Amino acid sequence: MPPASILDDIELIIDDIGGGGGPRPPAGGDGGDDDDSDRGRDRSWGKPSPRRYATAIALAMISILMFFMAMVAAFIVLRASSNKWVTFRVPWILWLNTALLLSSSFTLEIARKKLAASDNRGFRQLWFLTTGLGLFFVVGQLTAWRSLVGQGVYASSTLASGFFYVFTAAHGLHLLGGICALFYVGFRNFDKGNVTRALAAEVTSYYWHFMDGLWVFLLLLLYFGR
Amino acid sequence: MVRIGARFAMVTQGNPGRGSAEPSRHFLSRFLLSTDHKTIGLQYLFLALFSVFLGMGLSFLMRVYLTPGPGHTGFFSASANASDHYAALMLLHGSLMVFFVLTAAPQFGLGYYFLPLQIGAREMAFPSLSALSVWMTFASLLGISVSFFLKTSSGMSLWACSAACFSVAALISALNFCVTCIDLRTQGMTLPRLPITVWSWLITAVLSLLIFSILLAACVLLLSDRFIGTRFFAVPFAAVSALPLLWQRWFWFFAQAEVYVAILPCFGIVSHLLSVFSRKPIWAERFSVLSLCAVGLSGFCIWGFHMFSSGLNPYAPFDFSMLASSLGIPAAFLIASWFGTLWNAKPQLTTAMLFSLGFLSFFLSGAATGLFLSWRGAAPSAITDELVTGHFHLVLGIAATFAILAGLFFWFPKMFGRKLNETLGKFHFWLTFVGAYCIFIPMHWVGLLESSGVSSFPGTATIARAERNLHSFVAFAAAATIAAQLIFLANFLWSLFRGEKLATKNPWRAATLEWFVASPPPNGNFGNFTPVVYRGAYFFGVPFAGADFLPQQLAPELIVSRAS
Repeated sequence: MPPASILDDIELIIDDIGGGGGPRPPAGGDGGDDDDSDRGRDRSWGKPSPRRYATAIALAMISILMFFMAMVAAFIVLRASSNKWVTFRVPWILWLNTALLLSSSFTLEIARKKLAASDNRGFRQLWFLTTGLGLFFVVGQLTAWRSLVGQGVYASSTLASGFFYVFTAAHGLHLLGGICALFYVGFRNFDKGNVTRALAAEVTSYYWHFMDGLWVFLLLLLYFGR
Repeated sequence: MVRIGARFAMVTQGNPGRGSAEPSRHFLSRFLLSTDHKTIGLQYLFLALFSVFLGMGLSFLMRVYLTPGPGHTGFFSASANASDHYAALMLLHGSLMVFFVLTAAPQFGLGYYFLPLQIGAREMAFPSLSALSVWMTFASLLGISVSFFLKTSSGMSLWACSAACFSVAALISALNFCVTCIDLRTQGMTLPRLPITVWSWLITAVLSLLIFSILLAACVLLLSDRFIGTRFFAVPFAAVSALPLLWQRWFWFFAQAEVYVAILPCFGIVSHLLSVFSRKPIWAERFSVLSLCAVGLSGFCIWGFHMFSSGLNPYAPFDFSMLASSLGIPAAFLIASWFGTLWNAKPQLTTAMLFSLGFLSFFLSGAATGLFLSWRGAAPSAITDELVTGHFHLVLGIAATFAILAGLFFWFPKMFGRKLNETLGKFHFWLTFVGAYCIFIPMHWVGLLESSGVSSFPGTATIARAERNLHSFVAFAAAATIAAQLIFLANFLWSLFRGEKLATKNPWRAATLEWFVASPPPNGNFGNFTPVVYRGAYFFGVPFAGADFLPQQLAPELIVSRAS
């Protein structure tokens, strides 16, 4: 038999077992091997494992951390090499904001507990409380900017104030993404589709806690790096 | 029994499966708004094709500028600030080639198209993110091209915005690639069974995920300097010497790793192709994969060796020199693996194989000149622009381009159902191969002449004339090589519409999953059934009923039934 026809044969066999876009073959050729019994299984197409959202958020957090650490490195380098590091008073409202953000992490966790106990009403209340706390945090950050501007501290004033504005702005934008996710999980109807509300809430909570911890780190850096 | 089933499959093959919904007829929705990974891959490839021709045109203009004599009176002398123009040309050439060709083509172009096919997935993990990424890349290409024509200040701002935009696009793609590799592999596609191409795309994606955030952070600080008035890179607040250093450190942290983002997928493609066309498994496949990981890791760590002449901590150059040299170990292993694969093989010298061998040649010559550059004693005196340019273009630019072309010749039949013309392809290969050496080896000589300080010796006139002649020779070689690329363009366009149609699905007799679906693959890639994988991707030279390879998804009991 010439090799070319053997090759055709292999292609057809592959078609036959369902790897080549062909339809399901007639029953036959099944050796009854134990772990091969579901080969050619009909995985619902276009719907890969929903775990991919959790993987994605974990990887995204690594990347975001790298982004902030690059800026922190710049902060440290310029702090060390600068001969005129002029500092300014951190507005007191930042500590209140931090408390709001930390408490939002707690309410988020309690909300997820309620969801696990299938207490949908309690989940909804606490979830929107979390969202509200997040929004208050953003408003509080804007207030902090206003109070700094009132004191005459602008982004262009000193290196320290420049870093303050850039850090808070970058963190605030990332946090706004988290708030969008909170709204999405709160309002979306999860009845159809392959993602459950519990998974969506879990993925959102990773990101939210990460943003929370990141803010505490940035604040301490700005405070002690004066 | 199998035979009957096979015939049955052939007869009913025409029926579209449940999953393969008829694609929309309208061009706009089919090509422009598609989220299908194959369309995204093609968009990236066409973007790279456009950028590479634009970038080559710019490089020729630069050669004209550098060639003393009549060239000077043309394009450049028309404007008063020719050296500004030259710097802008160089920036545009560099960003086009590095971002939109070397990063976009092997990683995003071929990766988006073939990664899901090779791991048995129907789509990327996040199809809408793929589309977002490709459109941000187009926006960035537009911005970078337009920035060339603006005034210096606004042009720089636009360039930084576009670079930030490209970083975000690359981050999104990298995330998409990682998650697809981690969560969407089909049943039986364990990590050791992944084709080495998939490994290289995965490692590159991890690396991009880390380094493009650094470029993004640098661009954000630069843009905040330009738009909200911070002064991170301005003089009044910091010691003057620290300012460019900060940018340089960041830039080289990114750029050194970016080199590996560009070259790692090429390593993967070349390993894959050498194995397929030698009809032999990859020599020490698992160690090759580990070497790829090691190259990625040390690529992330050795940024400092670009900074020898910039006043680092006195101990730092030693560390970085050691790290840079230690990169040689995994790199040497990869080279050993390529030659081990070729050893005693009877390679089929298709155009794709020729380009892979060409990659090997350029990579080795480039690596040889690189040894001198990683020696820190050489740093201040001997390293001139021309020497570095020559080294860098051999080892990265030309080598990677050859790998991309190899991949293109290899996968073109799968993407379009027609083959690229082999005769034209080989003609193009030899012209480019010889031409590239004629450009870049004399460039090394010019660099050595400049660094040797001979200009103060007697006989200066002779040496100066030699240097001038070398410059002219390089310019003519560049013109000829660029002209030879038109052969490729003609071949590409002609084969797209008139090329020889494929007789079988698997013209190269490769064992990976993508070769057992129709060409081009249907929507949803695998019809109603997901393939199940039983073995690694390089079972060549295994006699099976007259054929010499085992496809990844051929079940063991079928082999038994054929053999008996």
